[in-house]
Amino acid sequence: MITTVVGSYPKVAEESYSTKLIGAIAKWQRKELSDAQLEATHQAITRAVIQEQEAAGVEVLTDGQIRWEDLVTPIAKRVEGFDIEGLSRWFDNNTYYRRPILQAKPVWKRPILVEEYRFAKRCTRRPVKAVLPGPYTFVEVSEDRYFKKAQRPFVLAMAEILNQEARALVAAGAPLVQFDEPALGFGKPNMKLAVEALNVATRGVDANTAVYTYFGSLDGALEPLLRANVDIVGVDVVSSPKALGALRKVKTTKQLGLGCLDARNTKLESVAELHALFRAVKKVVPTDRLYINPSCGLEFLPHAQARAKIKRLTEAVRTFK
Amino acid sequence: MLLTTSVGSLPKPDYLIAARSQARKGQLNPKALRELEERSTREWIKIQEDLGIDIMVDGEQYRGDMVAYFAEHFGGFKESGLVRSYGNRYYRKPIIVGKVTHPRPVTVGWWTFAQGLTKQPVKGMLTGPYTIMDWSFNEHYPSRRAATLAIAKVVREEARDLERAGAQYIQVDEPAISTRPEEMDLAIEALGIVTKGLRAKTLTHICYGDFTAIGPKLHKLPVDQIDLEFANRNFELLDFFRGKRFSKEIGLGVVDVHSHRIESTEEVVANLKEALTVFRPEQIYVDPDCGLKTRSPQEAIQKLRVVVEATRAVREWLAGSNGKVRRQNASLATAAREGS
Repeated sequence: MITTVVGSYPKVAEESYSTKLIGAIAKWQRKELSDAQLEATHQAITRAVIQEQEAAGVEVLTDGQIRWEDLVTPIAKRVEGFDIEGLSRWFDNNTYYRRPILQAKPVWKRPILVEEYRFAKRCTRRPVKAVLPGPYTFVEVSEDRYFKKAQRPFVLAMAEILNQEARALVAAGAPLVQFDEPALGFGKPNMKLAVEALNVATRGVDANTAVYTYFGSLDGALEPLLRANVDIVGVDVVSSPKALGALRKVKTTKQLGLGCLDARNTKLESVAELHALFRAVKKVVPTDRLYINPSCGLEFLPHAQARAKIKRLTEAVRTFK
Repeated sequence: MLLTTSVGSLPKPDYLIAARSQARKGQLNPKALRELEERSTREWIKIQEDLGIDIMVDGEQYRGDMVAYFAEHFGGFKESGLVRSYGNRYYRKPIIVGKVTHPRPVTVGWWTFAQGLTKQPVKGMLTGPYTIMDWSFNEHYPSRRAATLAIAKVVREEARDLERAGAQYIQVDEPAISTRPEEMDLAIEALGIVTKGLRAKTLTHICYGDFTAIGPKLHKLPVDQIDLEFANRNFELLDFFRGKRFSKEIGLGVVDVHSHRIESTEEVVANLKEALTVFRPEQIYVDPDCGLKTRSPQEAIQKLRVVVEATRAVREWLAGSNGKVRRQNASLATAAREGS
């Protein structure tokens, strides 16, 4: 069993790496701080977050997405064709994201996340995975004023763009690229299209690949998802407890990312209850094919509880026989 | 008919914002802060009176976040560290750590103070149990449902306290109601616990991302009046109500609270007349789309003024020389569509 995290981490920590990012961003917005100065603060917090994951014993890290306003803005603001507009609720959370509006043909101009990935990689000897929004989710949360509401061309165009970004990240040294697809947990997603798009996104990506889902409930989306050309499928059993039962019915050789500590609630799971879950999952997916992680990004929690969750995560895995 | 009101929050003047910041740092004592909150409340009551608003609010000068306010005063909650809501905005999210209780009235003191300043009715303003649950962490109750119903009983006690104190309008806001469509029935059940047996007029202000989920359940909301945003979607929402039986009162949001643009009286008059082809005049309460606390005080006053002036103009139009016929026609047309 390999311990990992899903992506985001608190950007402020009152009792440790500080709340200085809040003031830095406010000053930068008033043009009292340069881009380089803001980046220095981003780097300092990223370094602290990576060290914290290491100290907690997490084996495959992320950079905590400290620079990210939300899952889609980092991509939308640097892919040609998008405007970024008003706030919308982020799925079933009490957080908000800025809705990308597609006005023209979307075009990937140059690597977007490579520099920040390279920085993160320099902060640690442990493997750092690169995280991207998945193509289906990206389109679901965007507004389309270009493809005339035809979902398929927009999704496949985003898949090509995300594929280019993924390959650039692998060239920069990423051993694993993860695509986040929370939209698959809501409504009746077009799974044929979602899987086709994931297969485009992972084409020629010479590293491990993952698709992670979280929030909502997977229902009928799990089975087709297990047929996508990815190595790891992440399932949030906190939001989607029935997924475990569904896994029993489907034979898969894929690795499973088990989302099992609730990253949206402060209540800390006990080692005993986590071990009970691991025992149940072991019957369906052997431990050498398991990644164990919190249910989603940890930014929904205050820092103290986020840190407690990753420590509990590694403790539960370390003591599991 | 066509009474004017506002949704609840009004902007805090600069002197109060500064005072709150000082108080948080321990540089201003609670008594001094309270005096400034009373001063700005008095100012807002006078502004509402001068504008001619029919149903008033106290403007929530003493409140921060609408859930944290109740969490601070109910038993069973503690405050968490900072959590980001979006952009560069952070807040302290409440954590339910024990049984939720109602040790003393929370809003009655301020309601009584505000009502003592005016003859117009002042609304009692509560946050609904589903929203309080959804916007808090839960370390105590075994499920979201258990937490919601427990909180509902506590909010109900507060509603009774307000009624006993004399509130004729009690508003229970549920901005979170459409977040999880599969939990909407729970939110409705919890709201029913709060409003059951109240003699005061009950209202709820709800937000909707996707109206298709909440629309069919609107008539089930156990309140007399539902306050909705119409302006920020160009009154497209009127199409949902066209031809449907809707017997509750409707709070009609006619100006956009997220925009700096002050709507013209003509534009609001036109939209109100359009709304009269869908609702009866007696059903409609005219207000801004949502709370005004994100606007500057000047913008808020201008938005409220447009609401009042446009409503007056439409009342005059209804009461004019052809008024009786217009009113009858309006009522008949709407009644015919309702199939009554």
